[in-house]
Amino acid sequence: MSLWVDQYRPRSLEDLHYHHELSTRLRSLASLASSGDFPHMLFYGPSGAGKKTRITCTLKKLFGPGVEKLKIDQRVFLSPSRRKLEVNIVQSNFHIEITPSEAGNYDRVVIQELLKEIAQTQQVDLNAKQRFKVVIINEADSLSRDAQAALRRTMEKFMSNMRIILCANSTSRLIAPIKSRCLLMRVAAPNAEDMQAVMQHVSKRVGFDLPPDVASKIIDDSGGNLRKAILCLEALKMQSPDLSGVLTIAKPDWETYCHKVADLIISEQSPARIMEVRQKFYELLSHCIPPATILKTVADRVVERVDDAIKADVMHWAAVYEVRMRIGSKKIYHLEAWVVKVMSLYKHFFYGMDLTEFD
Amino acid sequence: MAPPKNAKPAPGGRAITAFFKASPNSSQTSQPSSALEPNKRGMLGASQSKASIAQASTSKMQDVIMVDDSDGEPPIQKATKPRKSALLSSSDDESPQKKVVATAASRSAAHELTKSKSKARASLPAKMEADSEDQVHPRVQKRKKPSALILSSEDEAARKLSPPKKKAAVSNGSSSKPKARASLPVKSRAVDDDDFEMVSTDEDTPIIPKTKSKASERKELFGDDSEPAQKTKVKPRASVQKTVKRKVEDDESKVIGKGKTETQGEKKPNWAAMKAAKARGPVAPGSKTVPDGEDNCLLGLSFVFTGEMSSFSRDEAIDIAKRFGGRVVGQPSSKTNYVVLGEDAGPSKLKAIEKHGLKTLNEDQFLNLIATRKGSGKALDEKTKKKMEKEQDAIKAAAKEMEKNEKKAMEEADFGAGSSKAVDPSTQLWTTRYAPKSMKDICGNKSAVEKLESWLKDWPQSYKASFKKPGKNGMNMYRAVLISGSPGIGKTTSAHLCAKLAGYTPIELNASDTRSKKLVENGMNINNKSLDSFITGSNSASGSVGSMITDRTCLIMDEVDGMSAGDRGGVGALNALIKKSKIPIICIANDRQAQKLKPLMSTTFSLPFSKPQASMIRSRILSIAYREKMKIPANVIDQLIAGAQSDIRQVLNILSTVKLQSDSLTFDEGKELSKMNEKYTIMSPFDLTSKILGPYLFSHTARETLGDKMELYFQDHSFVPLFIQENYLKTEPAKIRNEQGPEKELKRLMLMDQAASSISDGDLVDGMIHGPEQHWSLMPLHAVCSTIRPASFIYGTGAHYGGPNSMSFPQWLGQNSKQNKLSRQLSDVQVRMRLKVSGDKNEIRQSYIPALHPHVVRPLVEEGSSAVDEIIHRMDEYYLSKEDWDTIVELGVGDQKDELVLKKVSAATKTAFTRKYNSSEHPIPFHKATDLGKAPKKLAAEQAPDLEEAFDFDEIVEDASDDEKNDQDAEDIKHDRLIQTSKKKGATVKGKAKK
Repeated sequence: MSLWVDQYRPRSLEDLHYHHELSTRLRSLASLASSGDFPHMLFYGPSGAGKKTRITCTLKKLFGPGVEKLKIDQRVFLSPSRRKLEVNIVQSNFHIEITPSEAGNYDRVVIQELLKEIAQTQQVDLNAKQRFKVVIINEADSLSRDAQAALRRTMEKFMSNMRIILCANSTSRLIAPIKSRCLLMRVAAPNAEDMQAVMQHVSKRVGFDLPPDVASKIIDDSGGNLRKAILCLEALKMQSPDLSGVLTIAKPDWETYCHKVADLIISEQSPARIMEVRQKFYELLSHCIPPATILKTVADRVVERVDDAIKADVMHWAAVYEVRMRIGSKKIYHLEAWVVKVMSLYKHFFYGMDLTEFD
Repeated sequence: MAPPKNAKPAPGGRAITAFFKASPNSSQTSQPSSALEPNKRGMLGASQSKASIAQASTSKMQDVIMVDDSDGEPPIQKATKPRKSALLSSSDDESPQKKVVATAASRSAAHELTKSKSKARASLPAKMEADSEDQVHPRVQKRKKPSALILSSEDEAARKLSPPKKKAAVSNGSSSKPKARASLPVKSRAVDDDDFEMVSTDEDTPIIPKTKSKASERKELFGDDSEPAQKTKVKPRASVQKTVKRKVEDDESKVIGKGKTETQGEKKPNWAAMKAAKARGPVAPGSKTVPDGEDNCLLGLSFVFTGEMSSFSRDEAIDIAKRFGGRVVGQPSSKTNYVVLGEDAGPSKLKAIEKHGLKTLNEDQFLNLIATRKGSGKALDEKTKKKMEKEQDAIKAAAKEMEKNEKKAMEEADFGAGSSKAVDPSTQLWTTRYAPKSMKDICGNKSAVEKLESWLKDWPQSYKASFKKPGKNGMNMYRAVLISGSPGIGKTTSAHLCAKLAGYTPIELNASDTRSKKLVENGMNINNKSLDSFITGSNSASGSVGSMITDRTCLIMDEVDGMSAGDRGGVGALNALIKKSKIPIICIANDRQAQKLKPLMSTTFSLPFSKPQASMIRSRILSIAYREKMKIPANVIDQLIAGAQSDIRQVLNILSTVKLQSDSLTFDEGKELSKMNEKYTIMSPFDLTSKILGPYLFSHTARETLGDKMELYFQDHSFVPLFIQENYLKTEPAKIRNEQGPEKELKRLMLMDQAASSISDGDLVDGMIHGPEQHWSLMPLHAVCSTIRPASFIYGTGAHYGGPNSMSFPQWLGQNSKQNKLSRQLSDVQVRMRLKVSGDKNEIRQSYIPALHPHVVRPLVEEGSSAVDEIIHRMDEYYLSKEDWDTIVELGVGDQKDELVLKKVSAATKTAFTRKYNSSEHPIPFHKATDLGKAPKKLAAEQAPDLEEAFDFDEIVEDASDDEKNDQDAEDIKHDRLIQTSKKKGATVKGKAKK
């Protein structure tokens, strides 16, 4: 049996629990589509807000239940340096879903070849509701500039055969020409009431009563990420089946680990400690925790624990080094530089206070 | 960033920068001083008439100093005591000659005296300066940072004791013997004048060679001068030794005094220590000029250097000693003449000094010795003189013999002229012309050569005994020898010579000949079945080289390690040849350890040649130089040999090049030449890192320019930044050596912060280099940001081998590949889960894996094998395979770290899980494109695959599990190769997984 989050995922636009306005809009767009009037779209919003769910629902509205019959294909592309790039493609008869970031720096090749290939073939299924196929591009905000440039012209040229749905966390990394060619669909994170409703719905489907205070506790902890909330709910239910007593929401392993790192930074400031922290960072990075997430989690925790006077500084430097991290290639350098900076700040503040108090 | 050219003084200038590439520091200082030159001149004029006027103009000088020091020293500190430094520096300018004499410690005191007795003293310098005002000017101009001198810590203390206002009263310990002190500078001044005069003449007429007799110049100077100068001239010559001795005494008392002030400082650490530390910074490199001593004035003396001097780095000091003919040894012994002590002298050396009762010098005394000692062995005792004469004679004799041999060879050639024309020796390369003609000509490796010769002589006997008798060296068991050693030390030459002397005809095969298996076999007729020579050869039995192979032939296989791809099987064939050879074979290689030469290890006798020492080569080179009528002093030859790392061939080549232009070579030219021909020693990243992070590269006496430092980065530009990043926290920064307590910690964190942010900068630059734009021209910037700048903050002791913080190999490489591997595995997991899950990779890692953990991993820990069914069911739900389960476990951190988790699962449970999984069917979302059409590999049943392998053969393993079932229902698979659904699955899943 699947996890609840997958089991009770809404499958049609009508089932969606929140952002009703958006749902209506999508519904009307989909119904207009038969006249060929369906735009390229860009769904953006934080993770766990329901972008993918909405895309799937829209597709279902467009093509019928056929889109749910998915298969996975693995395609091999050749990079300019004759290196083989393996890209996984999820597709139904009516749409295709790619994650070009899998190809790393060579995402441009994938975009160019794959999109042209799809765009050049017409829909052969005569029973298909629409004449166009849909290409979903996941993680569009991690597309390289080259790949985005490659998209630009394709989006206009092959409009008759293909629609593109981009799915991204934020639009800031997308170039303006792409944004202007798409209909922007913002899927905001659900608010507390929405989440409460969804969780009550899930618990009803599963067949138990969810005390509202437990739900709100989970909601507080999940920070607008509905996926996280539901996964959390299930874990909690597994932990104590009757959901009573003092419930501690188990944090994911990496988060606990990040907090440990933050505590290390606060408790001692020395070269040896920095090296210890470096070791921990390596551990996190190698276990596929994105560096930005690490920095954010650790910085949040550090800020919680330091004095008000240096909170702003800590966050300022976290922001500075996050940008550098994105530009640079060796993330650990910037993480470490931030740690040293924070340690220095902390120590200086610590002794600075000492002096003012006792002098 | 090369230092500006104008920092280099005119030829013959004796400023320290002439010897060494000007450091950026000195290049900065040279400009202001030259700009303010009229100012100083004016001052000199003032000093002529009255010394007191000079003092009035000190405010101007103050400005100069502040400009000078702006790079090292915060100006504020200067401003607090303008009077002091001005006072002292003005004294430097008034009477520059005194400077060499006055030690750093006694400077202020001496100066005080100078002031108080200015009437008595000033008359002399004033007169002399009046005579030679023109020459004063270039000298002054060249003086670098006079003020910096006084800023050493002793001075600080001394000045504290004697405040500047009390001019007459000198409260220092030296006050007890003002007479001696006063007389001292005067005495040695004459000598110093002489050097000063040299400089000026060089300036005026730079073309005049140095060998021009100094005596005449001296006469000139002193001729103009009045009586007293003449007098002083005579005196110091006689009492040089005495002076020096007294200096030593003086200094000893100084040392005691210094110790005292230091202990005082320690009681009150905050101010004295900090000031001392600050003062330490600008103790300027190049602040002292090397006096223009006579050539070879240190001849016959041996020196030991210990500790760090204030204005020279160790290398420079050694260089200076050598250039004046001194000998520098590492450890003091009873034969050592002088020990030059710097700061922080090594305790073991101090002990040795005490034990042997050696004479010690400080920096100024050392310079003084150079300035005052007579040159060209005049000051030597009879014994050494004789020894040197003997050496000279030997050189002459050798050169004569060389000439004789050459003539003889010519005659012989003429006599037997017919086929080959005699070659005029003068047209030959020096390396052939002066190749050794007899055993005694060979430089170094005497025992190895003797061994070789005796082996060759014994060879026929050994052959008869079928190599059973080991002989004296055990060499006679071998049919071949392998000579190994670095280039240019006479391996080939020795081999040829030995062969000739032993009566063999050498046949040489080297890298220029093809030496493939076939050619070696046929050419050498190893198997004795080739009829090549009978059919083709005009000579009855000639080898591939064209000469007769008789039993008196010796095969020299040169450059065996150069047998490359073109010589396929060459080494093997050679080895076969060696095994049954009827002639001696000498193989020559540079690197005996090379992988290629492994086969030869057992069949050849290894004869390593080592680099001969300079002393072994020196006489030979000297006689060659003599023969070529070149005037090259021995210390220059030593310099060249050291520069070429005992490569005789290279030294000869350098000399023959020099000969084309001139007949002589000075020390500096020699140094430049050997630098030009320097062999780049490849340093390992470890060595590079310990050099870069070590305490010397950035210390104030270091002479490396920015370019030199960057050169270290470029030795291995991909590794060095990684090493620096890995190890930069491990040093004990030299910059905070004198701090204490929280101050130190704070400073240290600040330094580390600066270093870390610079490394971060470096990564940004790296991104631009290796990014899509590929701005390779940014490499120097990357060198600075990633390596030089961080190191400039945190350099210091500590990050070396064996220490508590020993250097380590960069983790980044391993961690990065681990990250890539896990990330690939994670994307495999994501793709499989994709049919059920909408999240991307990061979501899978951050939300699903923690959520799945209690469902698919923890039950195994808690319930053991009874949970296996449930787990497998859950995994099938998400199309997860056993390998994906491993990935999920591996991706855990902290409490869920794979090692911790797997330790808790019993082996029995693991086996049960694996067996159960393999024995049942599982849904497969897709097949990898690369695996289709491949013959599936079978894995050994029940064996849990190694993680590494599991990754590589991820899908193949799955195929294997398929295959096991193929026997049962092959039809099913034929029907639906792409997706196989399990029977357990519900209808919905089946529908979804439709092809």
